[in-house]
Amino acid sequence: MTRSVVVALAVARKDLTSEWRTRELVPALGQFVVLALVIANFGFQIDSQNAATIAPGVLWLALVFAGLVAFGRAFAAEREQASLEAMLLTPAPAAAIFAGKALAAGLLLIVCEAVLLPTLALFFGTPLNLALVVAVFVATIGMAALGCLFAAMVARVRSREVLLPLLTLPLWIPFVIAGGQAVQVAMGASGSYNQALGLLVDFDILFVVLTSLAARFVLDD
Amino acid sequence: MTRYTRLTAAAVLLILVAAALIFVYAPEDYLQKEPQRIFYLHVSAAIAAFACFAVVLVASVVYLRTDSASADRLARAAALVGVVLTTVTLVMGMLYAKAIWGMFWTWDARLTSTLVLWIIYAGYLMLRRLAEPGRQAARFAAVVGIFGFIDVPIVYFSVTWWRTQHPGPVIVNDALPPAMLLTFLVTMACTLFLAAVMVAIRYRIETLMDEAPSAAGVSLPSIAQHEPEPAR
Repeated sequence: MTRSVVVALAVARKDLTSEWRTRELVPALGQFVVLALVIANFGFQIDSQNAATIAPGVLWLALVFAGLVAFGRAFAAEREQASLEAMLLTPAPAAAIFAGKALAAGLLLIVCEAVLLPTLALFFGTPLNLALVVAVFVATIGMAALGCLFAAMVARVRSREVLLPLLTLPLWIPFVIAGGQAVQVAMGASGSYNQALGLLVDFDILFVVLTSLAARFVLDD
Repeated sequence: MTRYTRLTAAAVLLILVAAALIFVYAPEDYLQKEPQRIFYLHVSAAIAAFACFAVVLVASVVYLRTDSASADRLARAAALVGVVLTTVTLVMGMLYAKAIWGMFWTWDARLTSTLVLWIIYAGYLMLRRLAEPGRQAARFAAVVGIFGFIDVPIVYFSVTWWRTQHPGPVIVNDALPPAMLLTFLVTMACTLFLAAVMVAIRYRIETLMDEAPSAAGVSLPSIAQHEPEPAR
């Protein structure tokens, strides 16, 4: 068990180091979410009256598509260098390697959220409070597990750019439903924040357990 | 006549019996009038679709445990029939909604989760088309087939968990008069039989395609690449 944790942390560290050295993904993702906000502004005709009602939707749209870009890149380097096979040849358990990849991709998405949330608050004049940050963070855990699983899958399939959103988005919808409600409440709408957050935690547990069980079948081949 | 022709004939006959019950025997609904007759096939198709996805789930688990090629074929066949039946459910539901609610679509939890169900299994079929045929594609698809089933209970319980425009369960709540209940049960049995026949036929097609991919009219890239260049 402890060995799996060591392996997962080592894989995550490797991915994060490689990202730190190239600085390929994070600046692009940051720019991407800012652009998404600009497009939303033109699409919705945002003014001070409707900003608060539109902001949660814009947040989730930007986050979901930034997530697709982030997870689509998670296995890109491994594919180009054919290094995933080498990693799988080591006695390290496949689930631990997968956990490391998901951890690194999830952390990159969290960095991207650290750009998205303040920018959203700045441009849309919405509150930036702890409830909002917690809801988005909790949703990211399960989304990272699912996104990374499907990214690992489509990395070895033709037309992966098409297939990743097709497989990932429908299964992210539970997070968008519960997360959407939590963010709306955090931004001042009426509703139960605790119920939405509880649902997010439930989905996290369900999908983290399922993906760690399935990781073996997707990676080990 | 092959076994499959006979099965198909029986399924068509049964569906005609169900149609006779729906249009002749079942009484007209006092409030909803004629459009209520859509209900029988709409709900039956949904239940048959759920059954197909349950078959995908079980076959996928069996495949991951045993690597059995027939379990994989069964999953493929059931997923395709399930998507067809979900399409039937959605289209009939939209016609029903237009007649009763005055619009084809509303973003209600039941409708939305059913649409998501359709998208998940359409994605499953896309994955099967795009992944290199073989063990890897089968494993990936099995994982998607297992994850996708999570949406089935969500669709079923959506009407109890959230306040929806879509009516709640009428069958288990015993809300139908006997003649309507009988019509519904017969329609459901006939639809399930039709679904089973379609799965059996599709299973046969998948078997033939596995045995001779080129004979089934499918051009696989791996085969096309090895064909010699025509001499000039």
